[in-house]
Amino acid sequence: MACVAAAGVAAMVAEALRAPGERMPIGPLGAIGLAGAAAASLGLWNHNATSFSLVVADNFGLFITLVLVVVGILSLALSAPGIERLGLPRGEYYALMLFALAGMMLMATATDLLLIFLALEVLSLAVYVLTGIRRDSPAAVEGALKYFILGAFSSAFFLYGIAFTYGLTGTTRLDRIGTLMAGQAMSPAPLQLVAVGLLLVGFAFKVSAIPFHMWTPDAYEGAPTAVTAFMSTGVKAAAFAAFARVFLSTFEPLHPYWRPLVWTIALATMVGGAVVGIAQTNVKRMLAYSSIAHAGYLLVALVSANDLGKGAMLFYLLTYAVTNLGAFGVIALLETAERPFDQMSDYAGLWTARPALAALMTMFLLSLGGFPPFGGFVAKWYVFSAAVKAGETTLAIVGVLTSVVAVFFYLRVVVMMYMTPAGRSSDAPAVPAIAGAALVASALAVLYLGLLPARVLDWAAASISTIF
Amino acid sequence: MPTLTDYLVLSALLFSIGATGVFVRRNLITILLSIEIMLNAVNLTFVAFGRALGEVDGQIIVFFVITVAAAEAAVGLAIVIALFRHRESLNPDSFTMLKW
Repeated sequence: MACVAAAGVAAMVAEALRAPGERMPIGPLGAIGLAGAAAASLGLWNHNATSFSLVVADNFGLFITLVLVVVGILSLALSAPGIERLGLPRGEYYALMLFALAGMMLMATATDLLLIFLALEVLSLAVYVLTGIRRDSPAAVEGALKYFILGAFSSAFFLYGIAFTYGLTGTTRLDRIGTLMAGQAMSPAPLQLVAVGLLLVGFAFKVSAIPFHMWTPDAYEGAPTAVTAFMSTGVKAAAFAAFARVFLSTFEPLHPYWRPLVWTIALATMVGGAVVGIAQTNVKRMLAYSSIAHAGYLLVALVSANDLGKGAMLFYLLTYAVTNLGAFGVIALLETAERPFDQMSDYAGLWTARPALAALMTMFLLSLGGFPPFGGFVAKWYVFSAAVKAGETTLAIVGVLTSVVAVFFYLRVVVMMYMTPAGRSSDAPAVPAIAGAALVASALAVLYLGLLPARVLDWAAASISTIF
Repeated sequence: MPTLTDYLVLSALLFSIGATGVFVRRNLITILLSIEIMLNAVNLTFVAFGRALGEVDGQIIVFFVITVAAAEAAVGLAIVIALFRHRESLNPDSFTMLKW
């Protein structure tokens, strides 16, 4: 059993890692590696296998791995036009993206705090570099610097939390820590609560929750748009996977102690993301604040901590991933070296110049805003009903209100595209076939998740039950 | 003979010095150094706990952390150099292109 798992997990990670050597057809090669990872994950489904007791291929980890495969394939497809137009180094770009994906998959399946830290660093270092990969652009490098400084700062906190946990329990393995926690749940050591707080800071930073969000808009605006699409979805999915694994299984006995903290962060994140988002005139920054608000909704699912909430979190991660990739993907296809196409006014009259792109963008924005019949609506519905069921009525009410506020800024772009006369948007560049196909695929996924969510929801619920 | 508490207090002090430095100092290189101080404070904590528990695990973990810190420093300095080429400045207050 352990053998199968070791091979499977090694294949999952190694296939993603293989690309750097080759230089020419790296994009398709990466896609093949990711397809291999998907096949391995499907093969390991329900096996619940472990390797070296550090990595576990349970259904929860595999579900996140599959989400990451989707994120990876769509990001690779959407990257091609950006790489050409912005003159980015091809080999490094794809290699870093695949390294980051390997780190994310490792993070989603790791069952040892130290390994989670290492995976976090693998993905972060790759993403820092990807953010600043346009070295000729001062904005890109500035965004990378802010991301790096705050990221390194928060990973020091995360590590300090691991150190305290190790000192108190004598191990970094999640299952053993969990057993010890369950034993002393009534009166945990004060230092243990400090450790939980420090770990919380590290996770909250990675999922860009307020007040640890300062880097998000800067990094999202500065990075090439395809990279933004990748990191706003992949990093969040991986970080939430580890977050849920650590806090909902290992530190579950301490739920009464960390609940108020996460509750406050969730509230601040939803309100802050939606309110500050209104003031933005840059579409990439607006979507950055929208992704902060979405982190808040995911935290609501985490606070609820019931079965419905856990399943809803996985479903939300998948929906958010395809929707956000699509929205940033549209921007990425319109982006050129001379013109980033990220100002609100750039979108005036896009409907006449680019009807297909405008229609797709409308779908993605409405899904992000939570309109039926798109996936975003179903995802929000389940998160909020989980919150109500867990007695977190305040969070659910604030969540609904902030979604309404957020709709305002999503609709502003839509109004811009359809009802404002064309400005300069007629000079937008041609759309490559693969990238267009990726956009259509994510649009279909958004519709599928909105109209026929039952199957995926069952699947999410089944996979969450393996670890909690 | 220093006790475990002494080591923990020392590392907590070092960690606070590093954390303060990140916010107070106005030079990017010093900020990177402050982050290194924080990581090394954590290393000290690991070694102290490892010794108190009578295991080598704590010290092995430190090797991992040192490796990560080295990789982080490489990436960090590379970004700082790329930025310096644009701005000729190491003062974080002058990097205000992206705001709000």
